[in-house]
Amino acid sequence: MNDFIHPIPSTIDLYEEGDLDGLSIIELGQYLKGKTHIPFRIRGNIYKRFSGKRIGEVSKELARIKVRDPGKRFFLEVPLQAEVDYEKRRISDPHWKIFGILYDGVHYQKIILDLVFKGDINLKHCVILFTNQLFGTWDRDNHRYHARVSLYSFPSLISITGLVEAPAKPKEFYLKKQMGIPIEFLKEEYQGRFLDHGDLRMTEVLKGYAMQALLFYITGDPFCGDRDCRLFNSHWQEEVLHSQMNGKYEFCPKHELILKGIRERR
Amino acid sequence: MNKKKQIFTPVSEKEVTRAIVDGFAKQFIEYVESDCLIIGGGPSGLMAGRDIALKGVKTLIVERNNYIGGGFWIGGYLMNKVTVREPGQKILEELGIPYEKAVKGLYVADGPHACSKLIAAACDAGVKFANMTIFDDVVLREGNQVCGAVVNWTPVNTLPREITCVDPIALEAKFVVDSTGHDACVVKKLEERGILKTTGFGAMWVEQSEDLVVEHTGEAHPGLIVTGMAVATTYGLPRMGPTFGAMLLSGRKGAQVILEKMKKK
Repeated sequence: MNDFIHPIPSTIDLYEEGDLDGLSIIELGQYLKGKTHIPFRIRGNIYKRFSGKRIGEVSKELARIKVRDPGKRFFLEVPLQAEVDYEKRRISDPHWKIFGILYDGVHYQKIILDLVFKGDINLKHCVILFTNQLFGTWDRDNHRYHARVSLYSFPSLISITGLVEAPAKPKEFYLKKQMGIPIEFLKEEYQGRFLDHGDLRMTEVLKGYAMQALLFYITGDPFCGDRDCRLFNSHWQEEVLHSQMNGKYEFCPKHELILKGIRERR
Repeated sequence: MNKKKQIFTPVSEKEVTRAIVDGFAKQFIEYVESDCLIIGGGPSGLMAGRDIALKGVKTLIVERNNYIGGGFWIGGYLMNKVTVREPGQKILEELGIPYEKAVKGLYVADGPHACSKLIAAACDAGVKFANMTIFDDVVLREGNQVCGAVVNWTPVNTLPREITCVDPIALEAKFVVDSTGHDACVVKKLEERGILKTTGFGAMWVEQSEDLVVEHTGEAHPGLIVTGMAVATTYGLPRMGPTFGAMLLSGRKGAQVILEKMKKK
């Protein structure tokens, strides 16, 4: 079992990016506080405190880190002006709904880190950004990018779009999609077996991911091998729904003990 | 003896030929210079052309095929039903195209009906066409402003090499629209010249790419508006599948951009 590698943070700071489609950040904060006794702060939109000049700089950085071909290793691009303008419109609007571009997650995290900590990591606060944008990381085993739900670091990123798109849906879904059956028909046929955009279960499911981010911060290990534990690293939608909503317990005995330890050290 | 009345007025072959040449030449001379030259007569080009022509903008669509309409005649897998996601059906309504709801948010129409109505709407609005005409190059002015296109007869491309010395001709316009689909021919020509750089489209992801295509539609380079699938190629967006709502809305947004820019000029 990992012991604590960092001190217990004085607060959990929850940031947002874009329209989170009904996700309750307050409920997530209250859940983390209830389980750990660590207070939380709702920090709002990540870009709101920055000037037009800084927004312009960040727009350029974001336009450079688009993954153009998931089958090729990412390299920094010189973006077209229209791509920079798109990013500027996107980050200037806290209610921005459009997503679909895959960003390089590691570079995305670096941009957010610079915005939150201004290059100097502050370990007093555990920072988690909830975004409606999609990021991925390069898989060294099969040599391609994969969309991710979360990227745990300082700060951690959790994507509501990633939660829908990254864990795999039932295999038959993809076979039928390849046959040209419109996705709208497939969503009706497989309703309930995977999370969709705007899904009412999103807040409940993300409680486990928010806890993974917090435990990464404190112990360095966000995951658990027990598929009944909310810290299970799910690769399929059915695993996500099982571990977050239908598991035998919320946390396995080992992680219940860790959470108890955190509460006692507060 | 009563002579049987003919149905059609007798006309000689030479008069038929003169009528074709005269009609073509008159229009061609008039449209050697236009306000807007649209390369590609698919759904986004037709939609853009229709919307600007309705506002009195002199518009010529260049199409490399004999037929206009691009891929709008058929949907996925060569099946002649076309689908649009909400709010694309509003444009179908506007053009008088019958459609049915497939599932929530998805509508289906007959490809031939939808495509022919869109072509007719563009014609009715005043758009002119140069079909069997292929884009060859861009015309550039000071500051690499795009202000026309070099074109040729499409069949020239299929001639044996030794007899392809058929020089192209240039058409001028205040704005050029690249609506050439995934090929993004006009944008690619600027890339060949080192004026801008694209990276091609990503993996197919219908659900999200439609929004992104509409959102990125606009001026990619001074004088050059990009619409439809060409937007995905230009900006490396996810590849589109067989739904056409974004093509229609992208064409409409391209038209809005042109109209705003014309106002400023």
